Amino acid sequence: MPQTPLSVSHPAVRRGVNAGPWSLGWVLVVLAVLAFYPVVFRNFLTLGVTIVLFAGMATAWDVLGGWTGQLSLGHAVFVGIGAYTMALLVLRAGVAPWWGAMAGVGASVVVAAMWGAVTFRLRGPYFALASIAVAEMTRIVANNWASLTGGAEGVSLPSLPRFLGLDLFSRRVEFYIALVLLGLAVVAASWLQRSRFGYHLQAIREDEDAAMAVGINPTRDKVLAFLASAALTSLGGSLYGIFLGFFEPRGMFSLDLSVQLALMAYIGGVGTLFGPLVGAGLLVGGSEVLRIYFPGKSLFVYGLLIILVVLFAPDGLGTVVRRVRRV
Amino acid sequence: MVEFIQIVVNGIFTGGVYAIIGIGLSLIFGVMRIVNFAHGVFLVVGMFTTLFFFERLHVDPFLVIPLVVLVGGLLGVIVERSLLEPIARAPEHASILMTVGIGLVLSNVLLFTFGDAPQIINTRYSTSTWHLGPITFSTALTISFFLTVVVISGLALLLGRTDLGRAIRAAAQNADAAELQGINTRRVRSLVFGMGFALAALAGALLLPQLFAHPSIGPTYTLKAFIVTVLGGMGNVAGAIGGGLLLGITESLGAAYVSSSYRDVFGLAAFLLVLLLRPAGLFGRSRT
Repeated sequence: MPQTPLSVSHPAVRRGVNAGPWSLGWVLVVLAVLAFYPVVFRNFLTLGVTIVLFAGMATAWDVLGGWTGQLSLGHAVFVGIGAYTMALLVLRAGVAPWWGAMAGVGASVVVAAMWGAVTFRLRGPYFALASIAVAEMTRIVANNWASLTGGAEGVSLPSLPRFLGLDLFSRRVEFYIALVLLGLAVVAASWLQRSRFGYHLQAIREDEDAAMAVGINPTRDKVLAFLASAALTSLGGSLYGIFLGFFEPRGMFSLDLSVQLALMAYIGGVGTLFGPLVGAGLLVGGSEVLRIYFPGKSLFVYGLLIILVVLFAPDGLGTVVRRVRRV
Repeated sequence: MVEFIQIVVNGIFTGGVYAIIGIGLSLIFGVMRIVNFAHGVFLVVGMFTTLFFFERLHVDPFLVIPLVVLVGGLLGVIVERSLLEPIARAPEHASILMTVGIGLVLSNVLLFTFGDAPQIINTRYSTSTWHLGPITFSTALTISFFLTVVVISGLALLLGRTDLGRAIRAAAQNADAAELQGINTRRVRSLVFGMGFALAALAGALLLPQLFAHPSIGPTYTLKAFIVTVLGGMGNVAGAIGGGLLLGITESLGAAYVSSSYRDVFGLAAFLLVLLLRPAGLFGRSRT
């Protein structure tokens, strides 16, 4: 369903007008505050890594899903490629995980380029459906191509070399790497908020035909956004693989994971700097709390939460904060 | 050759049920422009409703089908009125999120109510068969297929020949114009969503004799429903029948002659190819 035409009250315009020169400053403030998390919540490091890591990947998803308006429900492919490329290079070739992560970025970019070139002529729900099909096929192939991936039994990581003298299996180290990744993704988003390229993407999101009429090449720009989104997600995937230590195609390439990334962005607010972070904090933190207080019922409440957000805060909870701040 | 025919027959029997799932999804998309991510969960609701009546009331699963359809239809109307109507004018992603949420809530309610163990139904004809020459037919599947044909024919009559059917098709073609002709499109939307839910529940009841029921199998069937509708053309009800049969036959041939672990890839690849090459579906006219 098309959104209302651009008017001054439209969220996209409000965001643009509001951006001001300070949003990069806000990014730094938020990241600096987050950097104290391991000091304050010494005993909840695993939770912290999960939140920040998923926030990073959800922000990466948002480059395509929020800023460009192309709903992908297949981003788990890049998480899986990142994790598997890194792990298989470590296991089979003894390549250090950070070079493996770079190789994963390369592989993800190639896959995204082909995927985008083929499916970006589809619009709206059709693109979303195609992305599910691509991801499910990848999952089935990864599951059955046992000689390459280890198949359904999964892979487990051996001891890893130290990264700049740091133990990669330490939750504290993982937290700060995830924070750097989140920083990269949010800075990319804040660049999209004000750059010419970012305006192209937002124009495509609002009305692809009108964007084309003013000389924007939607397919090229969508593919570029997809590449950036895939590369960042893949980095997150490599770290996620290290964080888990053991993983299998069923989890890494799952539709659930893809949907989760999209939900985090939506619940926090798509096409905003901190929406995906808010969404990841709520969903990851929330489901952790729910697991304690409502054992076995966390997914139920999770579903309920989604329904409530769609009904009462359709622009995401991040915008509710903004609305409250204005009053 | 006998083996081949046998496999195709099995494919057609399953494909008929897939067609029922697909028709519901297609109707919902056609009229409401909603891609229903909870569709497979509706099917599971049907399975467990049938199980409930079968175990508590000890009634034959095929006899409770009218009840299951009624429950499905009511649930559909309630869900539409309370959760989808309020966001009818919201952007597309809102409805996608909403149906994802509805699916999560429903499947977890089933999990709390019926537990985590896969359940199966045992009737006296679960394992019985009959023969036509060298071809063997499962009795349960034959009854399912017969009901499928009846339901689809009835639906075709309803959509093609009645005022209600015309109202539904008009609302799918152009909701505003339909409204101007005096059609209450709001009511049509509720009704169509109820029909979609009822059809999915019916498919669940029909599949129950040959499958384990578990609250978590919904997404598998949501995906199958997507494949069926895309093969047939989104919003194209007649196409969904062809799409369902095609998926049923492909799956059954693929499982028999190619590796069964890659079976689902063929369905998905066909789905992707059709999306890209013939977005209006294999049987559709392109519609802008």
